[in-house]
This record gives sequence, structure tokens and C-alpha cells, in this order.
Amino acid sequence: MSAVSMTLLFLAMMFVMMALRFPIAIAMFVSGSVGYIMQTGWSPYLNSMNTATFARFASYDLSVIPLFILMGHFATQGGISKALFAFTAAIMGRFKGGLAMAAVLASAAFGAICGSSVATAATITGVALPEMKRHGYSGRLATGTLATAGTLGILIPPSVPLVIYAILTEQNIAKLFLAATIPGIIAMIGYMLVIFVYVRLVPGHAPEVDKHPAKLTVASFIGVAPIAAVFVLVFGGIYGGFFSPTEGAAVGSAAAFVAALFKRELTWAKFLHCFYATAQSSAMIFLIFIGADIMNSALALTQIQHQLVTLINSWHVSPMMVMGAIIALHIVLGMVTEELSIVLLTIPIFFPVVMSLDFGMPKESVAIWFGILILMVISFGMLVPPMGLNVYVVNGMAKNVPLSESFRGVLPFLVSDFIRIGLLLAFPSICLVLLRFMS
Amino acid sequence: MKKIPLLEKLANVCALAAGVLMSFIILLTCASIIGRELIGSTVVGDFELVGLATGAAIALFMPLCQLKQGNIIVDFFTVKVPRRINAGLDRLGALVLAVCFALLTWRTVVGGLNSYDTHIGSMLLGFPEWVVYAAMVPPFLLTAVIALHQAVAGFAHQHEHHDNVEVSI
Repeated sequence: MSAVSMTLLFLAMMFVMMALRFPIAIAMFVSGSVGYIMQTGWSPYLNSMNTATFARFASYDLSVIPLFILMGHFATQGGISKALFAFTAAIMGRFKGGLAMAAVLASAAFGAICGSSVATAATITGVALPEMKRHGYSGRLATGTLATAGTLGILIPPSVPLVIYAILTEQNIAKLFLAATIPGIIAMIGYMLVIFVYVRLVPGHAPEVDKHPAKLTVASFIGVAPIAAVFVLVFGGIYGGFFSPTEGAAVGSAAAFVAALFKRELTWAKFLHCFYATAQSSAMIFLIFIGADIMNSALALTQIQHQLVTLINSWHVSPMMVMGAIIALHIVLGMVTEELSIVLLTIPIFFPVVMSLDFGMPKESVAIWFGILILMVISFGMLVPPMGLNVYVVNGMAKNVPLSESFRGVLPFLVSDFIRIGLLLAFPSICLVLLRFMS
Repeated sequence: MKKIPLLEKLANVCALAAGVLMSFIILLTCASIIGRELIGSTVVGDFELVGLATGAAIALFMPLCQLKQGNIIVDFFTVKVPRRINAGLDRLGALVLAVCFALLTWRTVVGGLNSYDTHIGSMLLGFPEWVVYAAMVPPFLLTAVIALHQAVAGFAHQHEHHDNVEVSI
């Protein structure tokens, strides 16, 4: 059987199993195993399984994932979000649609100490949604804003998907975080602009300007101090050269824990909950890792990656076209499956392709640029059906808002996502400029 | 007080054991950084210990995730399918997952025995690697048993992945 037909066979098998509600990781595991055994027989397969889990899991680099997740949960349970939203609401309250903009700002700030999109969405929704409802925001605008703003959790470093990309492609996490910063800030500004325009163009979704907005007080500054402290400690430490990102994640967990203790909101039950929640998210990711590993081994045996590189280079199309096509493919994939899982599978296939193309810049810059683009695509996948996790979570917290209203509320923000992805495709320096500046 | 089923108790114990390992990693790393920046000497072999602890912790994360139906599925293509059939598909999925974890358990035992026989240890400290294999086997087996139980007895409630806020990034 040729490499292409073999590859298509087990990719088809995987997609069928996914469509039949098999856990994504298991669909990858089983079809990968079948592909492996078809090519090598049982004995090499079983031998490779002897060390598969140990070799994958017992790794220093991997500890960064559960550590950043734990840090996010300490931040979530620690009760800092209330003070944060009060602070941003005091800044933005005087504008029309101000509370929605404040929610974006709060999500961005929370995203600076939390690497998860859904956790950010859920945390900020918990404090912002009741306020927005009380002030007369429509369910559509409120839930759409909060779901979208949640993606700033991963767009602004730390970012768990970016860490996963770094591990898969053996890139430097610190550099990727730095590269994500400006695109993350652009995303934040873009979302606020969308609100600014939307509340003026489409009446009836936001109240008129609040005549008596809350004032910025000393107390509100003190309220956000813990977040600022954790952020400065972690990123100051990483970029000041005191520790590696992995160590930064450990320090961040400890710091977020201490910050939560200071807020006096962390009960014993909440403390245990942080570990249970970390266990669940981490297990979900790492099981997909194992499934994707086996699938990728099977794909590697067919040498399809190599053939793909040769094939695409033989077309002599412009590298930009290829990059654009890969990103477009991922956007489509995000609309039929779960983006993050799929990326674990597609990155090992497409990364060699991207690296073989000449974009007129150093290989490392290409790798970083590709990583940021993939991150944008993942965050996009958080907002569109079928998975659109952020939308489901925020909608689940808002009683009486139909799911279709929430998805409709997200639509205007997707425009800004598209523009941002286009900008980044056309101008890679948006993500690379800080790196040049720092080095 | 509500009676907690045995499988859930065991899964919680695994997650807490992983939590203890995570705390160990955090404390070890902080101690190492403080030592390096202030006294100029690190904890010897901190990298390997963190790596080994991570391996055990990740395996220990698994049972609770399966118990809470945290392993993500795509339900896009089956939204219009009757609930009864979807429930059947979910049980089939759990059964296949149980088989996969049974396989992982078996091969991890073999891998661990190989490692024990050949005395493989970590680079600096010579910490025996079979210990980590040994720590991985019970949670893998427990995950298989949990999934098998779900396949046989059905799920407590319909698989609604997006309600599960804990299991997501």
C-alpha cells in the first residue's frame, strides 16, 4: 500500500471514530496503533509501548503544563477576579459599552497570570456577568463579549497551548511568550474596538452612558496588586534571566497560592478543588499527547511528512500561499472538530513543511511566527461551533440566554479575529519585533 | 453524609497523590532557584527529580479525568441522533478506552520489569526509573476499571462535555 493511501486509511479511521463520539485521544490511539501494526507487525509495536508512557510523561519539560494550569486555578479560586473587574470597570465605566470593555480589559489582565482560555472566561464571567445584566446589557452582547474575552487567557502569556506548541516543536517558551505579547494586546484592543462600534451601530444592546460610574480608589488599586505582583514575579524572573519558564511556572503556582491566601478566600475545599481540576485538565491533554504520539509514529513510518515536503516544494507556489492554506485548513478543522487536539496531530505534519519553505527570515523566526498563528487559530476554535468551548461555558453560566444568542454575540468579534490573523500573516514582524528588541 | 463510591474515592486519592507530587515539584524548584540565586548552589539532580515526579503525577491524573468523563469528544455529528444511541456510543467509547488502558497497564508492567532488571537510573542521582513505572501501573489499571465500569453500567448522566468547565484549556 502506498504511503498516501495508508495515511488516508488511518486518518479516515480516526475521523470516523471521532464522529462516533469516541474520546479524541482514543480515536488517535486506536487508529495510530492499527497503522503502526500494519506496517511493522505486533512485536515492534508492543515493544514501543513498553516505554511509550514513561518516555513521554517523565520529562522535565512537561511539568510546565500542569504547573501553569495549577497557577491558573489558584488565581481562579483565589478571589482576585472581583477586585480586578471593579478596577477595570472604574476605568472604563464612563464610556458607552464601558462594562463590556471593562470585561475585556479584566480578561486580558487575568490572562497575564492564567494560561487557560476557558478558566479565564469562567472566572471573569462569574464577576462581570451579574454586573452587566444589572446595568441592562443584552444577553447577546454580554455572553458574546465574555466568551471572546476569555480567549485572551491564551492569547496573552502565559499560554498553555503555546507551551504545548513549544514542546512539540522544541522551541523556546520564553521567546514564544514574548512573541505573543503584541498580538495579544492587539487582540484586546481589537475586541474593545468591536464593542465601541457595535454598541453605536446596533442599538438596544448596551445601556446609555453610566452617569455615576464607580471611582478609582486606593482600595481598587490594592485589590489588583496581587495580580500585578504575581505577573511581575513570574515574567520579571523569566526575562530578567533568573529562571526558566518551567521554573517560572512553579514560582507562579507558589505565588498565586500565596496571593490567594492573602485574599483569605482559599478554603481547604477550594484548595483541594484546585488539584482535582488540574488533574482533570492535565489528564485530558496528556492522553491526547499519547494518542497523537502513536498516530504520529504511524505517520512517520509511512514517511508521509517527507513526501508532503517534497510534494509542496515541487509545486513552486509562493511560501505565503502555503502558509495561508495551512492556516485556512486549520480554521476549517476548528469548525468540525476540537482545535487543540487536532493541532497536536497536524503540527508534527505541517511543521516540517513550514520549516522547509523560504520566507526570507531565519528558521527560528518562522517557527515562532507559525506558533503564534496556530495560537490565534486555536483561540478562534474556542468561539465557533461545534466545540466553541468558551461560548458553551459562558452561556451555561448565564441563565435565560439561548445558546444561539451567545454564538450570535460572538460573531462581530470574529471579524476582528480574522483581521488580526490576516495582519499577522502579512506582517510577521508584529510578533517578531519584541524579540529583536530584547536580543 | 453522601456515600462516595469506591472508584471515585480511589480516583480522588490518585489525584491528591499527584497534587502532593506537584507540591513537591513546586517546593523543589523554588528551593533550587533560591539556592542558585542566593548561595550559588542548586539542589543536585533537581531536573531529574522534577521529570520523574512529573511522569508519576501525569499517570495519577488519569483516573479522575475518565471518571468525570473529561476526555474530550466531538458531538457535532451526533446531535440529532436519539439519546439512547448516543448513550450506547459513549459506552462503546468507554469500552475501547478501557482496552487501551489495559494495554498500557500491561506494557508499562513489562517496561518497568525491563527497567528493574537492567538497573536503569537517572543520570546524576541514579534514582531507579522502575519506581516511576511502578507508580504509573495502579492509576492506569484504575482508569481501565473505571472505563469498564462505565461501559457496563452506563454513565451516571448523559455525556455533556461542555458542561465540564474543569476539563478544558
